[in-house]
Amino acid sequence: MRASLAVLALLAAAACTPVAPYQRGYLARPDMAMEPAQAGTAKALEKTYSAKEAAFGGASVGGGGCGCN
Amino acid sequence: MAATEDAEEGRRPRAPLAALTQAALALPIVLASARAGAAQVGEVGFAALGYKERGLIKVTEPVLWGRLQVDDVWEFEASGALDIVTGASPELVTNLPGTPVQSVTGASINDRRRTAQLRAKRRFGDFSLSVSRAVSNEEDYHSHAFAIQGEADLDQHRTTLAIGLGKSNDRVGSSIDPALDERRDTREYLAGVTQVLSPLAVVQSTLTVTRGKGWFNDPYKSTLTFYPDEILPVLFADRRPDHRNAVAWLTRYRRHFPGASGTLQADYRLFRDDWGIRAHTLELAWQQDLGERWSIRPALRYYTQGAADFYSPVVPRPRPEVLSSDQRLGAFGGLSPSLRLVLRLENGLTVEGTAGYVHDAASLRLGGGGSEAFTTLRAVYGILSLSRAF
Repeated sequence: MRASLAVLALLAAAACTPVAPYQRGYLARPDMAMEPAQAGTAKALEKTYSAKEAAFGGASVGGGGCGCN
Repeated sequence: MAATEDAEEGRRPRAPLAALTQAALALPIVLASARAGAAQVGEVGFAALGYKERGLIKVTEPVLWGRLQVDDVWEFEASGALDIVTGASPELVTNLPGTPVQSVTGASINDRRRTAQLRAKRRFGDFSLSVSRAVSNEEDYHSHAFAIQGEADLDQHRTTLAIGLGKSNDRVGSSIDPALDERRDTREYLAGVTQVLSPLAVVQSTLTVTRGKGWFNDPYKSTLTFYPDEILPVLFADRRPDHRNAVAWLTRYRRHFPGASGTLQADYRLFRDDWGIRAHTLELAWQQDLGERWSIRPALRYYTQGAADFYSPVVPRPRPEVLSSDQRLGAFGGLSPSLRLVLRLENGLTVEGTAGYVHDAASLRLGGGGSEAFTTLRAVYGILSLSRAF
């Protein structure tokens, strides 16, 4: 937990390469998105794995639960 | 509750499909109204998942979604999905053959899960606030979730901070025990940061804390153990702690390589909970442009977890307070390669096809020490997805 918070703080405070608005063309590419799949694909995949594994979550909150027996 | 839903489904056997069809018919109306205003953009999409385990269940899942952005101020998202689950499911672990083995349901199960999610987001300059609502209904499980999330763009949008709060109120039932109606309530907390590292790289790190309490037992799982010095075996119904607190830390990195026309996508998640489970998930993918319209994305996902403190494939003596032989709480690892093909057309239509293979086994656990009773899982899946931007 402490390590996680430390990394979050470091990322937030990171002195990175200056990026002007006109330099953000590559960052706007669809394959640079944090969720590289389309919404439907991502939702289906997330549920497929979480129904078979004990671990869950990490990316968002409020998705709700499932029986997944 | 389950019996009532069964009766309703009997009268309206195609109600879930009808609901999805109705939603699909409504989407063109949203599309048409969006075109009336020049500052409105969005997309609508449809995806279908087919998933099949060797010797076990088969899942078919159509998913429908839409997104509408108005004047760079408001954004609305909606999605709906229907899971159709058929086949056999693990229900009992017994040491009758000598070593513990998993047996599956004799009759084929036939379960349906309907889920829908709505989200509205309002932007206030460099800040935004979003609220979401999700509903999921199965014959034996009902979930109502709510979330609120705020984001702040800092340093000329190079840094985005996010905090969120989620709440889920669930009801657990059972198709084999109509009297079962228990609560499971969960609260979720999120903190995250997205950082632009350079014109070619961005990283996001998100921490979610989940605190759950209520009924976590699986009403369909049990353990049957024979002892050499006793005539009668012991049948122990799945019994888990009445709380589960978990932390998941997800970090995602994206780096584009213009010279190679490709993008590296790396995701790592660390998970731990107070049931004693420690898990790591790593996914590496490379998305390669093939001309202006096509791209291909090979990916490899690796997952490993340790067992829950109360996991056991046999009932020890003396009998513990909590015990589960559900192999999803055992120690194992999994490898999942996949391949995705993407076609983007100039008219805003995007077609995605993804094929993947899932292989979970005790021997794939990082560092060894997988649960001996874990039954190797092999599954294949395919997802076809179409979306249209406007």
